Amino acid sequence: MKKIIVLFSLFIAFGCKKEEKQAVVANDKMTLDENQKLYGNWVGDFIITEADSLADESDYVYNNKLNLVIKKIENFKAFGQSIVAGNSRPLIGSFSEYNGEYRFTFNEPGNNSNDGKFTFKIVDDTLKGTWTANDRKNKVLSRKFVLTKQNFKYNPNLMLPDDTEYVDWYSEKLDSVKEVIDDEEETYYEETYRTASDIITKLNASTTLLSENDLKNLKKLELEIIRNTIFARHGYSFKKKSFRQFFDPVDWYIPVTDDMSGKLTLIEQKNIVLLNLFQKYAEDNYDSFGR
Amino acid sequence: MFFMSKHFKTYSKIFWAISFSVFFFLMLRITLKYIPFNSNVAFLNIKQTEVQNVKPYLAIFYIHVYSSIFTLIAGFTQFSKRILKDNKRLHKVIGKLYFYVVLFLAAPSGFFIGFYANGGLYSKISFVVLSILWFSFTLIGFLKVKNLNFSEHKYFMMRSFALAFSAITLRLWKVIIVYLFQPAPMDVYQIIAWLGWLPNLLAIEYYIYKIKK
Repeated sequence: MKKIIVLFSLFIAFGCKKEEKQAVVANDKMTLDENQKLYGNWVGDFIITEADSLADESDYVYNNKLNLVIKKIENFKAFGQSIVAGNSRPLIGSFSEYNGEYRFTFNEPGNNSNDGKFTFKIVDDTLKGTWTANDRKNKVLSRKFVLTKQNFKYNPNLMLPDDTEYVDWYSEKLDSVKEVIDDEEETYYEETYRTASDIITKLNASTTLLSENDLKNLKKLELEIIRNTIFARHGYSFKKKSFRQFFDPVDWYIPVTDDMSGKLTLIEQKNIVLLNLFQKYAEDNYDSFGR
Repeated sequence: MFFMSKHFKTYSKIFWAISFSVFFFLMLRITLKYIPFNSNVAFLNIKQTEVQNVKPYLAIFYIHVYSSIFTLIAGFTQFSKRILKDNKRLHKVIGKLYFYVVLFLAAPSGFFIGFYANGGLYSKISFVVLSILWFSFTLIGFLKVKNLNFSEHKYFMMRSFALAFSAITLRLWKVIIVYLFQPAPMDVYQIIAWLGWLPNLLAIEYYIYKIKK
């Protein structure tokens, strides 16, 4: 009888343990799935909310495009990456979940003068938060952002949209215009900008091997944009505003990296060599005495 | 009237002498870009299709570049009445140099590379016609002097040099058009291909017509 009781109790004990274990496993899986849906690229405008007087609000690219990557969450610790304006910074911070809200604080390493701290929460499909600079002498002190999740996949067929004008707002030139009004000569200044024709929405340097004939009639700006579209397809984060102005507004463009090494296809590499050659030629010869 | 005055003539001569020297110097500088011989320098940077696919292109291109600069030297000496009077030998030497260089080097090479000109069919036609006219006027001018027909020799050599001078006017028009309108590069090229020599020829025809009258 004693034996039976012992056996029985053992059975209960084992059984209980097994059940407990299963419960734990299920719980782990659940939290893993929960976090997985947060991982990825969160993309949107990185809007300045506080800046010193040196920041020029009339600047065409006043706000940058931000890609906030959430990579991994482990025991309330979170790992990520911020990619913005040619800067790719690793992020480490904390994570908590409360009432279906996922709260994060992320710190950039702090060894760059532009580093700062991200604080944000994710509710449903939207990531919302702020960034503050570590250095209070920084030109931009704080920013806000509302981001949505976007998957990045290299697609060589992507093109710049053809429903906008491509004007280089960083190429302002003042031309003096003289006009005679009421017998008085007046001189005023007119701004002119470089513009690109719609060829840049048609010529794909990622899928077709370009020939000299394809490029001969292109201006320097067009050559530049066609070359940079290759990089944009690979998610390259541009440092120069004069490049970002064309790609930041494009829906498919997600800055994911500041390193292009090993990413370009053979066609792209060949096209870039030719594009650079033509760009150099345009620079040296377009408006000079010669051909 | 001032235009008829002796002063005006002297001043305009000096003006031409100086501006021609400046442009000759600029052309010399362009020529020197091609020394040492290199298959992808300056203009050739956008001509690699021809350099690689048309075997004689590079050699003939270089014949054109290296020889044509010598034809411009004629501009310094051949139209000076004083040199013709006091130093006939110099006139003859430079004249022969011009004649041989145009007929055997510059014009035929221009004819060949004209077929591969940038800017499509219209510019190709322009450069090919230009080279044929240049060759013809130079040849006729030479034959006229052989027949001791000096005034016709002068007129044809004026026509010939007006076309040689297109090397300068073409590039000058380019600067002006790009400054004013900033068109796409090959659109400029199609325009200057014709603007480079046609007005020169019309101007010199008008000048000859005036003298003949």
